[in-house]
Amino acid sequence: MSGGTPECRHVRLAIGGDPQNLSADVAAHLTTCADCNRFRAETLALDARLRAALELPLPQFRTRAPPARRFALAASLLLAVVLAGGIWLSRSQPVLANEVLEHVKEEAGSWEQHNLLPASAVAGVLREAKVEFDARLPVVYAMACPFHGRRVPHLVVQTESGPMTVMLLAHEKIAARQEFSENGYHGVLLPAGEGSVAVLMRGGAVPEGPANAMVSGVHWR
Amino acid sequence: MNPPPGGTSAAAPFSRLLELFRPDLLRFAFWLARDRSVAEDVVQETLIRAWKSKDELKDPAAVRPWLFTIARREHARLYERKRLPTVDVDEIEALGDPALASDGDAGLTDLRRAIMQLPDEYREPLVLQVLGGFTTREIAAQLKLTQAAVLTRLFRARNRLRVIYGLAAAEDAE
Repeated sequence: MSGGTPECRHVRLAIGGDPQNLSADVAAHLTTCADCNRFRAETLALDARLRAALELPLPQFRTRAPPARRFALAASLLLAVVLAGGIWLSRSQPVLANEVLEHVKEEAGSWEQHNLLPASAVAGVLREAKVEFDARLPVVYAMACPFHGRRVPHLVVQTESGPMTVMLLAHEKIAARQEFSENGYHGVLLPAGEGSVAVLMRGGAVPEGPANAMVSGVHWR
Repeated sequence: MNPPPGGTSAAAPFSRLLELFRPDLLRFAFWLARDRSVAEDVVQETLIRAWKSKDELKDPAAVRPWLFTIARREHARLYERKRLPTVDVDEIEALGDPALASDGDAGLTDLRRAIMQLPDEYREPLVLQVLGGFTTREIAAQLKLTQAAVLTRLFRARNRLRVIYGLAAAEDAE
């Protein structure tokens, strides 16, 4: 687009900077300059597209990274596994348990919830994380929390033994059950197909029956 | 920490209010960080800080710009604290992110990729203005620039995008 007069260049700078809010001087210039009027119309049209572009569709936002990136990541991980050999498995599980513990400790308020959440609220959290969970379980807290770069359902379920925190880790495959405890928190990581389920309680060990019920209640999508 | 979504505490409505803005914050943080994982971290930190500072919000109607302001600070803070490397334009992994794709509208996809490749100094004020709804005066205050400098950056950002949109670039008034 041609520059026009110095005044036109000044007006287009103002329009390009803030097309929605024009000063009186710029508005006055537009009444006499067809080229600048066209420039403003073009800029407003561009802004409408910009707004649409910036409003990213969140369902797509939540999908996994593209195959090329996943392949690169998988290749890196494979290399790391080869290098680390058998040590990897034994070291990764305590790390996962510690990270679950740290996350749960940061959300200490989750233990204080007593009212049953409506099924729709729980369903929304599970949908966001692409996980299915037994809808009959009494959930009093549900959040889709960032964990290892993904959304992970963090639930608190009321049981006869007291509140039980459950984290559904769709992308954290583990080889075997692992118990852990720290500062009054007791937990267990349980294998669940391609993922795992972390179950934690405060004050006492996690009963086996309810913990297993959490695993059988989960399905990865 | 996440604010509780339900329960009986007096703070529950505020936590629900925060959750309403999570999608907006996620978009905003993604455009700032150009990295999905970093954006998730920024949003999490933003909600924590908002929750802790809820008494500072005097006007509930202003919660959105308030949250965006916190998110922008948290984004900057994250880079300072973790010393994350800045993202090279040629190495922006997010360019392949499915979120940028638009079904049946290749032009929109191209525009998103073009925005993603704008330098930070142009992309940040543009996102604050178009997505965040901030005035140029407010952007100037946030970025510690003069209002004239903000207008120039916004003009240059749009000028680069005009070409992607199929328009001729305007003459830069340097």
